Amino acid sequence: MPRSRLKLLRVAAALVVFAGLTAALADFRNLVPAAVGRWLAGVQLVPSLVALVTGAALSLAGVIIIVATLAVGRVYCSAICPLGILQDVIARLAAWTHRGKRKFLPYARPKTWLRQGFLWGTVAGVVVGWSGLTLALLDPYSNFGRITAGLFRPLVTLANNAIVGLANAAGLNSLYRVEPHWAGVGALTIPALMFVLTAALAAWRGRLYCNTVCPVGTLLGWFAQRAAFRLEIDRGACHKCVACLNVCKGQCINLRTGTIDFSRCVACFNCIGACEHGGISYRLAWRRKTSPAAPATAPTACLTPPDPQRRAFLTGTATALAVSLGAGLRLSAQDPAGPEPLRPRENGGRVDPDDHTKAICPPGAASIDRFLDRCTACQLCLSACPTQVLKPAFLEYGLSGLMKPRLEYSAAFCNFECRRCGEVCPDGAISLLALADKQLTQIGEAHFDQKKCIVVVKGTDCAACSEHCPTKAVHTIPYGDNLRLPEVTRDLCIGCGACEYACPVLPEKAIVVAGHRRHGRARKPVETKAAAPTPAGDFPF
Amino acid sequence: MKNRREFIKTGFALGAAFSLADLGGLFAAEVPAIDGTSPVPAPGAGKSVLIAVRDGDRVAMLDQALAALGGIGAWVKAGQTVLIKPNIGWDAPPERGANTHPALIGYLAKLCFGAGAKSVSVFDKTCDQWQRTYANSGIEKAAKEAGATVITGDDRSFYREVAIPGGVRLKTARVHSLVLDSDVFFNVPVLKHHSGALMTACMKNLMGVVWDRGFYHRNDLHQAIADFLTLRPPTLNILDAYHPMVRNGPRGTSVEDLVEMRTLLASTDIVAIDAAAARMLGHKPADVRHVKLAAGMNLGTMNLENVDIRRFKLA
Repeated sequence: MPRSRLKLLRVAAALVVFAGLTAALADFRNLVPAAVGRWLAGVQLVPSLVALVTGAALSLAGVIIIVATLAVGRVYCSAICPLGILQDVIARLAAWTHRGKRKFLPYARPKTWLRQGFLWGTVAGVVVGWSGLTLALLDPYSNFGRITAGLFRPLVTLANNAIVGLANAAGLNSLYRVEPHWAGVGALTIPALMFVLTAALAAWRGRLYCNTVCPVGTLLGWFAQRAAFRLEIDRGACHKCVACLNVCKGQCINLRTGTIDFSRCVACFNCIGACEHGGISYRLAWRRKTSPAAPATAPTACLTPPDPQRRAFLTGTATALAVSLGAGLRLSAQDPAGPEPLRPRENGGRVDPDDHTKAICPPGAASIDRFLDRCTACQLCLSACPTQVLKPAFLEYGLSGLMKPRLEYSAAFCNFECRRCGEVCPDGAISLLALADKQLTQIGEAHFDQKKCIVVVKGTDCAACSEHCPTKAVHTIPYGDNLRLPEVTRDLCIGCGACEYACPVLPEKAIVVAGHRRHGRARKPVETKAAAPTPAGDFPF
Repeated sequence: MKNRREFIKTGFALGAAFSLADLGGLFAAEVPAIDGTSPVPAPGAGKSVLIAVRDGDRVAMLDQALAALGGIGAWVKAGQTVLIKPNIGWDAPPERGANTHPALIGYLAKLCFGAGAKSVSVFDKTCDQWQRTYANSGIEKAAKEAGATVITGDDRSFYREVAIPGGVRLKTARVHSLVLDSDVFFNVPVLKHHSGALMTACMKNLMGVVWDRGFYHRNDLHQAIADFLTLRPPTLNILDAYHPMVRNGPRGTSVEDLVEMRTLLASTDIVAIDAAAARMLGHKPADVRHVKLAAGMNLGTMNLENVDIRRFKLA
């Protein structure tokens, strides 16, 4: 194997994924095209599997990653997973404090029980219906998303604001200040803790997080352990010089036994080039296993009774398939109407009080239950949202909605012409609706409280709500002496929050949107040509 | 003008000095000083002039209006800084009539440079998300193509707190520096129905230069709109009434809300031009309360019989 070609390939792929995802998630002014985030998030294991299993998209990336792992090991963990790459970056930064020398990490025994515990905990969570929580909490890509969108993006915004003055003075008008968007303390705590945890573990023990906590690492490790080609030590060539251990992140090279625990190898390929004797290389492992001594021929392979490893592999695969099926059933069961559940509301637009929720989920989410099951809280949509109406939830949706996007109308509202959240969502939690459908999707309904309204209270004109309403569900009717009082036609309302945002009443707004647990469909207004207010052809003055 | 620092500097040097005295009797009043110390026009200083043009395309009608007002050179002198304030409220394309038409803004910017303007800036504090609104209104592109500087209205640090001694309800406001510092201030709105203010034309468009619009809404919208005029009335108002939005305003829901009138109005008297605009939407000028209040504050002429209306029909 050439000294560094594999590593070069790994580093190149990692750079593309890391730079692209960081840019998309730290984007504070919509500079990065939606396709960049959508694409790079779409090749991540968990979002891709969620999209595939729920039928949201024919997303084969997850399957390809598993097949690749079964072929050559955990290439995902070093080349594609942004949290893994972030840990490599942190470990490298930490190495600088050791005069540029990487910390020497000797072989360590696997933390099998912890690993299995996190994996099966996650899987069990999906099956019994807290998929929202466990998947979202532990998916490495989503963790990276939250760290970048929640912690780094506001910092990048502040850095931008710090240089705007200088840039403008130098004639660069393309820079401008942007209000930094911090999540609430609650929603920020989890990514902050996760960042501290992964950073500390990475600085201390390389990929310990990936080989202990990360359920994706454990799942892929399980496949890698059974990979066709594995990195192995040529015991004849090995001088036990520990050059490989000097560069290994996984603590998976055991020179005493001359073996590599391939379930923990993150396929960084550092060791291949580090060994001066060419002692570590990929070898085909499948053939040898059936009959290590003699060259295997087809008939003998068939006649050989199944060895324990192979049996474990088969039962493992069967279990994995059964669990995925269970998870899939669970995920799709939440949404009997499929990915297009928009239906006119049967009760003629009137609101069932049980249907109201404080947390409002984005158009395309269809229902809060469906949404919470599928969303892994990667927060890519939060970064992509041009109005920043999307905020990470804390407990507004309940525990399973931690850090998932909700619409918050105090400082912004959902732009009528926009569907960017659906464009970037990698796991189909927010379906990309046709714009015309999005503009009729009722995510909530406005409730107007006349008693608080300025027009009634102060007897002066206002109607900021109706001014902002894109459908004219909120319009005005004549009131008092040449005044105009807001009025809501509920079945025209889509719940975008423009009215609530615009209402100037303090401290409690006179018009607020109550979310729908299950999204409805608004009536399309009939448009006839407006009549001319004055005779045509001449000046009316 | 290349940047904010520069326009603040030049603004201090030149801003307050601009006067229309040389245009003499054409105008009802001297332009009040920026500090608001002499906001009230001298009564009886002659009739306000209102230019009303019909039946041409927007650019031709603007040409006609400016010709009737002594040409762009009467308004923009070499080396001056110019602000063009369109209505860029909504994320809607030009054909929806929710924003001033980009062709007017681009053409006016070009004329300003032709007259030797040092800089031409364009901004509005949009209602919809500003980058989308600047882009989809077509105004950003048209203004940039004409060489104008397009500035965000969404940066609070660009706004300065100023006193408005002439105001009844609006006593102070954070106002965009461009408005305070530019030598020439063109107010170029679009005529629309408004569900709260009944109508939005020239006076209402000036809400887009203050940071806190909520204050207006909480403190007698119409009075606050009138009050602002005592601070800095525009040098010239140009009203795009090509196809006014006659219902569902100010955002509108479709092109069905528009009625083609192919009209453009221009005047230094913001009350007179809004009074004429009210008529175009079928209202009595006094029914638009901010027009009536402004007239009562001697900020212009509401009674169109006392206005020198010069009508032009291009077809």
